[in-house]
Amino acid sequence: MSDPVLRTEKLSKRFGGLTAVNGLTFELAGGRLHALIGPNGAGKTTFFNLISGLLAPDGGRVFFCGRDITGRRPHEISRLGIKRTLQMKSVFPQLSVADNLWITGYAHGGFLHPLRSAAKDHRTREKVELVLEQIGLTALAQRQAGTLSYGDVALLEIGMALISEPRLLLLDEPTCGMSPAETERAVAAIRELARVIDIIIIEHDMEVVFEIADEITVMAQGTILASGQPRQIATDDRVREAYLGRDEDEDYIEEGGHAQA
Amino acid sequence: MISPATIERLLVAALAAFLLSVPWSIPALINSFWVSVIAEILIWSLLAASVNLLFGYVGLLSFGQALYFGFGMYGVAIAISDFGWSFWPAFALGIVAAVAMAVATGIFAVRLTWHYFAIITVVFSLIFYFLALTNKWLTGGDDGVNFTLPATFSIGAAQWSFTDPAFQYLFILAIVLLCFWLMHRLVNSPLGHAFLAIRNNEVRASLIGLNVYLLRLIAFALAGFLAGVSGALFAFFGRYASATYMFYHVSGEAVVWAIVGGAGTLFGPLIGTAIFIVVREIVSSHWEHHSLVVGAVAILVVIFAPRGVMGLWRDWLARLADRRVPASVEAKLRTES
Repeated sequence: MSDPVLRTEKLSKRFGGLTAVNGLTFELAGGRLHALIGPNGAGKTTFFNLISGLLAPDGGRVFFCGRDITGRRPHEISRLGIKRTLQMKSVFPQLSVADNLWITGYAHGGFLHPLRSAAKDHRTREKVELVLEQIGLTALAQRQAGTLSYGDVALLEIGMALISEPRLLLLDEPTCGMSPAETERAVAAIRELARVIDIIIIEHDMEVVFEIADEITVMAQGTILASGQPRQIATDDRVREAYLGRDEDEDYIEEGGHAQA
Repeated sequence: MISPATIERLLVAALAAFLLSVPWSIPALINSFWVSVIAEILIWSLLAASVNLLFGYVGLLSFGQALYFGFGMYGVAIAISDFGWSFWPAFALGIVAAVAMAVATGIFAVRLTWHYFAIITVVFSLIFYFLALTNKWLTGGDDGVNFTLPATFSIGAAQWSFTDPAFQYLFILAIVLLCFWLMHRLVNSPLGHAFLAIRNNEVRASLIGLNVYLLRLIAFALAGFLAGVSGALFAFFGRYASATYMFYHVSGEAVVWAIVGGAGTLFGPLIGTAIFIVVREIVSSHWEHHSLVVGAVAILVVIFAPRGVMGLWRDWLARLADRRVPASVEAKLRTES
């Protein structure tokens, strides 16, 4: 029982000359909503890819509940109970919202019956109804996922994470591109989730981060810069320097540069 | 009021009734030659269905399904002419040979996707085409293997065999309908939904716990099964097997049939196959360049109806349903489920 939910040991990943994740040692005790923040290119998403198996690490190990999962394939890791959302919202665009949830809820059960009717699987269908209500998409259940608004797709992704009953959930910028109302709904759903499962969330919206996180880890250039409670992080000088403490003028300059480019 | 779903159900019933009546109605209306044309359409539609299962449901475009068709064909021919087996064991050998070959080549092929996958399927089929062509002792090469077909059923002195044209046709129809029924069950099953999920988004599919590689291999084996049944039936139908049917242009034709008919729909391949074989039969007796017509139809459909004939049909039904909605809301609730 003493094993942490997630532990990485000197985890590394290089892309050519770039070291995206550099000897990262991390431990998630569990029972807390953990936020992962850091400037662009800090290696946050790569870190998620290494945990979920989409990338194989160049060095180091990943342990899930004491079990070595380094180098396992995505579907194996998913079946152990680590689920995730993607930064680029990723659903099944030609399936209906309900079918997106249905296949997600069914897939982790293992055996895929080749001849039984999928429509008559009442157990999973009931779960689908429940999740649709939780994420507020009941009215859109029969819509093709590809025709949804960006915010609704993000909500659907959270719903897909929900229905698969994860033990550890990795959320990669879940509220990115959402309207304020949608963000509120998503944050409420995440809060609700965090009571029963362990969550690591990558988020750029600092309002959201400081509102929901119990613990924050700051990454920069592939390593951990600081880790602690929101209050400590907010006042940490190194963090301020690397991330939070940017001059507003500088931001304006950068935004102006983007607009011109 | 008739809903689109009811219209489709009625059409399927009408089609089934027509297909059942063919051995009697067609000789009376046209001539008995067209009975065997329709039998041929049914057989080839299974090869198109095999392309459709891979392309329309899993997202893998195979240009090598003729290889498994050929294995079904030769399985039957060799079992009968070399081993002296009877009808059913020969049928079984043809199917088993096709599925085994699909698994053996699929292990390598389904690691790839898109054009890489298409190329490797062509390469596999070419390798075995040339092997079949050169190993004449076994395959007869271009000349093929001819055999005398044993009876299908024999109870005491009574026999049912392909020498009776009506029996031959009805047997082919029964097997083809059975395959389409199995495919209908498959695409509506959890496994079928998993296939669609992979076609839609393979990264997400793996993240929800689907073993993408294994599922693609299963689909490839099932497609090999459909192609194998098709080849075995064609061997029974023609009483011979020949290496020419393993050439990649046979695979290419099946791709055209499936796409023109409508990939990702159950009956699209049957419709595509029917259109092309009927056109071929009518035009080729008047004009030797009939394949020009085939090419022109294929190009027109791909440009103007990218979802095939079934896509056009579905769009038309959807428009029909849309137009009805405003009127029917006033009157009463819609009856469509």
